[in-house]
Amino acid sequence: MAKTVNLIINGKKIKSSAGSTVLEAAQKEGIYIPTLCHHNALDPEGTCRLCIAEFSGSIRNSIRISCIQEVKEDLVVETETERINKSRRLILELLLGRAPEASAVIDLAAKYGVTKSRFLTGESNDCILCGRCVRVCRDKIGVHALCFVNRGPARKITTAFERLSEYCIGCGACANVCPTGAIKVEDKGDQRKIFTWEQVTARFTLEQCEHCGKPFAPKRYLELINKKAYNPKGLEFVDYICPDCFKQHDRLSDKRREGALRKAVNKWSVPRG
Amino acid sequence: MDLKAVNEILSHFPQGRGNLIGILHEVQNHFSYLPEAELRHISKKIDIPITQIYSVANFYNRFSLTPKGHNQICVCMGTACHVKGSEKIMNELQEKLQIQKGQTTHDLQFSLDEVRCIGACGLAPAVVINEDTHGLVKPKMVGKILSKYKP
Ligand code: SF4
Ligand code: FES
Ligand code: FES
Repeated sequence: MAKTVNLIINGKKIKSSAGSTVLEAAQKEGIYIPTLCHHNALDPEGTCRLCIAEFSGSIRNSIRISCIQEVKEDLVVETETERINKSRRLILELLLGRAPEASAVIDLAAKYGVTKSRFLTGESNDCILCGRCVRVCRDKIGVHALCFVNRGPARKITTAFERLSEYCIGCGACANVCPTGAIKVEDKGDQRKIFTWEQVTARFTLEQCEHCGKPFAPKRYLELINKKAYNPKGLEFVDYICPDCFKQHDRLSDKRREGALRKAVNKWSVPRG
Repeated sequence: MDLKAVNEILSHFPQGRGNLIGILHEVQNHFSYLPEAELRHISKKIDIPITQIYSVANFYNRFSLTPKGHNQICVCMGTACHVKGSEKIMNELQEKLQIQKGQTTHDLQFSLDEVRCIGACGLAPAVVINEDTHGLVKPKMVGKILSKYKP
């Protein structure tokens, strides 16, 4: 078991396990720290700076971000001091200047009393460059279809050479983790498009469910799942079943699933081609 | 695609993926830019996602994704050079070469870029062409300097 670490957050003595971040420790205790770029399923990257706090005790008095700072014995953390909230309001105002129409930003800013921004650019871009999409695609899906390009104000999220991605599997995880909706998945009939910012960065024809016939997932996506989850050797496919039908099977007949599984196992023993 | 040249470059870097920047430098020097097909080939060879290579290629000024001129002119726009009138030098160059900064001449002889302080502030205003540093440049010297590089 991980070593226990004692620290104080907002005057409250808490115990946490070594290796966890201050943000995790606070969240466990029900202490709220605002975040935008943090996602529980992803490694932190510290891009939004909203989770700042004042640190003292066992580390030098300083303002740091709590989503990356690890807990330490005798650490003292203050997350809502006047100084912190002043900086936080500025960060929110800057974010609002970039993304004045993104509700995640508007709501959070309002919570801190920021409703206007001095930094409006005349353009509105929902992306706050938090990098969640890049991280999920790279670290969790293992595809790495998205990347940051350029520096400074020209920084943006796109695909290699800003072309339709030949690696994207159309899973939509990027859209799922995007806090502002700057990446969208659009399904129309059996066509799926992924929009990164306003650009179409991938396009797919959806495969039909073997049971109900509804188009539900891109081939590359099913292939990757097949390879990762069931079938590392890339042998014969199991079944194309949409989530709805799959759930129904769950309820209706476990027998049937067992049968399907057995069929699948039999298939696996014969390499394709 | 010039496979031979790329493979030759890759053979200089046995560590492969750990040396992405070094590889890109050589590719840039060889082709005077980073061509897409070559980058995609490198991505497969050293097993780094093309998106990551594209990110790196975009990040550094030294790398270019469009062809650069045979002679690369960098006008320093750092503080010292700025104060010493590098703007005028830049204008003169733009006029003489008939291109804007960031562009390359049609005959691919010259490309013109600005850089921030190159550490030669004592020689301000400074212009670097390929590997040569020209210091204390005055607008009327520009024509003569350029003529040294004309084919
Ligand atoms: S597109 Fe969304 S997830 Fe990606 S960096 Fe922008 S805001 Fe973050
Ligand atoms: S949540 Fe910590 S920097 Fe964004
Ligand atoms: S400012 Fe030009 S060399 Fe330093």
